[in-house]
Amino acid sequence: MSAADFSALQRPNDRLRRRRVANRGMEILAWLAAAIAVGILGIVVWSVAKRGAAALNLGLITKSQVQFALPGAAEGGLANAFAGSLVVVGLATLIALPVGILVAIYVNEFAPPSIRSFVGLTLDVLNGIPAIVIGIFVFGLLVVGHGYSGYAGGFALAVLMLPLVARTSIEVLLLVPGSLREASLGLGVPRWRTTLGIVLPQAIGGIITGAVLAVARVAGETAPLLLTCAVGVSNNADFNPTHPLQTVPTAIFELSESALPADHARAWAAAFVLLMFILVTSLTARWLAERTRRKLRRAA
Amino acid sequence: MPRNGKALRITLVVAAAALLGVVAVAAASAAGAKSSATTLTGAGSSLVAPAVSGVWGPAYSSAHGVNVNYSSIGSGKGIAAITARTVDFGASDAPLTQPQGAACNGCVQVPWALAGTGPVENIPGINGLQLKLTGAVLAKIYLGQITNWDDPAIKALNKGLNLPNKSITVVHRSDGSGDTYVFTDYLSKISKTWATKVGKATTVNWPTGIGGNGNAGVSAQVNSTPGSIGYVSTFYVVQNHLHMVRMLNRAGHYVYPSVKSIESAARALKKVPSKTAGISITDPPKTKKYANAWVMATFTYIIVPANSAKGADLRSFIDWALEPAQQQSIQRLIFAPLPKLVVNAAKQRVKQIQ
Amino acid sequence: MSTYDATGNATRRPFSGRRVRPGDLILQVVAGLAALGSVVLVGLIAYKVIEGSRLSLSTFGLSFLTTTTWDPVHNQFGAASLIFGTVVTSIGALILATPLALGVALFLTELAPSWIRGPVTALVETLAAVPSVVIGLWGIIVLGPVLRDDVMPKLHSGLGFIPIFGPSSTGATIFTAIVVLTIMILPIISSISRELFLGVPSELKEAALGLGTTRWEMVRGVIFPYARGGIAAAMILGLGRALGEAIAVAQVIGAFNGPIHANFFGPGNTLAAWIATEFSNAAGLELSSLFYCALILLVFSLLVNLLAQWIVRRVAKKQGLAQ
Repeated sequence: MSAADFSALQRPNDRLRRRRVANRGMEILAWLAAAIAVGILGIVVWSVAKRGAAALNLGLITKSQVQFALPGAAEGGLANAFAGSLVVVGLATLIALPVGILVAIYVNEFAPPSIRSFVGLTLDVLNGIPAIVIGIFVFGLLVVGHGYSGYAGGFALAVLMLPLVARTSIEVLLLVPGSLREASLGLGVPRWRTTLGIVLPQAIGGIITGAVLAVARVAGETAPLLLTCAVGVSNNADFNPTHPLQTVPTAIFELSESALPADHARAWAAAFVLLMFILVTSLTARWLAERTRRKLRRAA
Repeated sequence: MPRNGKALRITLVVAAAALLGVVAVAAASAAGAKSSATTLTGAGSSLVAPAVSGVWGPAYSSAHGVNVNYSSIGSGKGIAAITARTVDFGASDAPLTQPQGAACNGCVQVPWALAGTGPVENIPGINGLQLKLTGAVLAKIYLGQITNWDDPAIKALNKGLNLPNKSITVVHRSDGSGDTYVFTDYLSKISKTWATKVGKATTVNWPTGIGGNGNAGVSAQVNSTPGSIGYVSTFYVVQNHLHMVRMLNRAGHYVYPSVKSIESAARALKKVPSKTAGISITDPPKTKKYANAWVMATFTYIIVPANSAKGADLRSFIDWALEPAQQQSIQRLIFAPLPKLVVNAAKQRVKQIQ
Repeated sequence: MSTYDATGNATRRPFSGRRVRPGDLILQVVAGLAALGSVVLVGLIAYKVIEGSRLSLSTFGLSFLTTTTWDPVHNQFGAASLIFGTVVTSIGALILATPLALGVALFLTELAPSWIRGPVTALVETLAAVPSVVIGLWGIIVLGPVLRDDVMPKLHSGLGFIPIFGPSSTGATIFTAIVVLTIMILPIISSISRELFLGVPSELKEAALGLGTTRWEMVRGVIFPYARGGIAAAMILGLGRALGEAIAVAQVIGAFNGPIHANFFGPGNTLAAWIATEFSNAAGLELSSLFYCALILLVFSLLVNLLAQWIVRRVAKKQGLAQ
C-alpha cells in the first residue's frame, strides 16, 4: 500500500472515532441521568420509609392530636387528620364521580363534535388551573359567610378530581365497541337504557380505575384544604363535614414547620401512611385498567 | 353478562373492605373521643396557644363539661376568623385596629393573659442569655443596616464575648402575628426610622430576612440556621431550647423575659384605656420601679362577638380564665398573672357579652 | 316508526314524529347539565378571581406588576418580587429537569437492558405519585441542611463571582425550591417523553442505523425531530405544574417578599406560595391584592396550558399527515 492510500483510510477512521466517542459520551450521560433520577427517587422514598416506619405506631390512628405536649404529658396521634381525610376525600368522590360519568356520557353519546371538543377543552383548562386558585375560588364561594367546613374542602377536591374522572371515563366509553350499542338499539332498547344498562357496565372497570387514580391524586392535596377546611379544627377525630376538619396533608404541612423532633417524626409517619395509600390505590387502579382493557379487547 | 360481573364484584369487595376499615377506625377513635357536649371553637394567637390548648382547655372541659377546640394559626388569622364568624372566639396579641374593629362588627376584646415575646439567637459558640443588645441595635439589625455578628456596634455591647465573623440571618414571622405586633411596637418606640419606614402591625413589609410560619416555624428556622436571630413568644423559647438575648431596658438593666420581668412591665399600666382599645406595655419607663421590667411584654386578648348563640358559654369561659387560680395555672408556661387593674377592666368588658 | 337506516345504524331525524322517550330526554338533559356545569365552573372560577381582585386592580392597575413593595401598614402592594420568584423557580426547575428527564426516557427506550426497564419505569412513576407536601417535608428536613452545609457553600466559594451563587446561610432558599420543583416535574416530562420515543416508528430508526449512524446520531437525527413537538408540550406541562406549586415551595423557599435580588442562595417567594401563606389572615386591600396575584397565576397557567395543547394538536396533525 502506498502512503497516499493509507492516509485516505485514516481520515474517515478519525471521524468515525469521534462519532463513536460522541455516541459513548451520550450513552454515559443517559445512564447518568437515569442514575441521578433513580438516586433522587430512592433517597426521597427511603427517607420517608425509614423515618416514617420508625415513627409508625397504632397510636397515630387512635389517639387525637395534642397541640402542646407539655413536659410529662402523653404524646398525641393524628386521629383527627385521618378521620378528616376520609370524610373530605369520600365527599369529593361522591360529588366528582357521578358528575364526571355524566359529563363523559354526554360527550360520548349525545354531543355533536363541536361541543365535544369544546367540553374537552374546558376539562383540560380546568385540569390546568393550580390547586391554590381552586382553593381561593371555593373559599369565595362556600367559606365566606358559612365558615370552614369539610363540605367546602370536599367540594374543592371534587373540582380537582372532575377533569381526571371525566377524561378517563370518556376514553373508556370510547373503547366500548359500537356494535354493542347498535345491537342493543337494533333490538329496540331505548337509548338511555342502552347507555346505562349496557355500555356503562362494560366500561365500569375503567371508570372506577379513573376514579381511583383521581382519589390517589387528591389524597395528597394540601393547598385547597388550607383555605377551605383546615382552620379551627378539633383535636379529636371528627367525622362531621359541617365542622372544619384536619386532614393528613395539612397535618403534615403544619408538623413539617415545627422545630420539635417529635413533630417531625409524626410528620414522617403520616407521610409514610399517605404515600403507601397512594401507591396501593394507584397500583390497584392500574391492575384494574389492564383487566378492563383485556376484557374489552376480547369483547370487540 | 357474566364477564363484566367479575371486575365489578372485585371492586365491590375492595370497597366493602375499605368501608369496614373506616367503620373500625371510627369506632376506635370514637371510643377515645369525648362525648358530644357543647364545644367552643377558637383560633388565633400562637402565643396564647400553650395556655389555651395545653392547660385551660382540658381543665375547663373536665370542670365544666364544655370542650374547647383551639387552633394556633396566628393572631392575624384569628382576627380574620372571628370577623367572618367562622369560629366562636378569636385570640390575638395585637389589639384590633380601627378598621378591624369596624369590620368585626360588634366584637368585644378582653385581655385574658399576659406574656411576652423575646429575641432568640443561634450564633455558633454563644450560649443562651450571653448576648446583650439594645433596642437601637436590634432595630438596625432588622432594618438590614447591621449585617454581621462582629459589627462594632454589637461588639461594643458584648465586650468579652467571642463574636464570630458570620453574617446575620434575620428571621421574622411570615404569617399575621401578634408577636410581630409586639416586636414592631417596641421597635417603633425605639427607632424613628423603623416607625416611619416599617411601622407596627401583625404583618409588615420586612426590609430583610426570611419568614417562618408561626412561632413553631420561626423556632425551626432559628434552630436550623447558624448565625440567625429571630423573635418568639416565651413558651417557645423554653419548648425549643432556644438561646435568649438580653435586652437593655430604659432603667438601664439587661433583662430577659420571665414571669417576674413581665409582671414588672405590666405594673407600668396605670389605667386601662377605653372599652375596645388595646394596651401597650412595651418599652417600660425608666424609673427604678421598672429596673427588671421586660421590654416586650404584652397582654393577649380573646375576641368574641357581643351577641352570639354561645354568648353565655363564652362569658363563663372567660370569667373562669380570669380567676386567680387559672392565671396561676399557666405560670409554668411563662405567663404572668394579670394585674388586678386589668382583671377588673376585663370583667367589665365581659359583661357586654350576651 | 323507523329510526334506523338501512344498515342498522341509529339515526335521529328532526320532526320525524317519533315519540321521544322520556328516559332518553332525561338522560340527555341531566348529562348535558353536568357538561354545562363544568363549563360554567371554569367561567365561575375566572369570575370569582377577577371579582375578588377588582379593588386591587382599580387601586394599582398594572403598576402592581412592577412594584416590589408589599406593605400592609401603608397599604402599598406589588407582586414584582413574587413574579420574579415564580418565573425564576419554574424556569430553573425546567432547565434542570428537562435534560435529566430526556436522559431517563432515552435510557429506558434505547439503552436499558429489558430487565431494568420495568423497575426503573415503576420507580419514576412512584416519584410522580409522591404528594407535594411530602416532598416539601423532605426538602425541609433532608435537603435543606445538605444544601446549606455542603452544596451551597462549595458552589459559592467556587463560582461566587456569578451573582446567583451568592452567600448562603440558611437551607430555605430559591435554590432549594428549584431542586424541589425539579424533582416534582421530572416524572411528568420523562413519562411523556418515554411514550413519545416508544411511538417513533421503528422503520425510521432502523433505516438510520442501517445507513451507519451511531445510536446517538440516530437519536439526534430521527427520534428528537420526530418527538420535538411532544417534548415541547411535555416541557410546557412541567412548567405549568411548577408555576402552580404552592405547598412544597412555601415549605422551603424562606418566605421573603422584599426587593428582588439575584442571589439564588438566598430566600425568595412565589405567587402560589405567598397566596397559600397569607390568604387566611388578609383583609381589605391586601386580600384583594392576593386575588390579583391569583389572577396573574391563573393567566400564566392558562397561557401555558393552551400553548401545550396547541403544540399537541399541531404535532398530532403533522403526524396524522405523515402517516
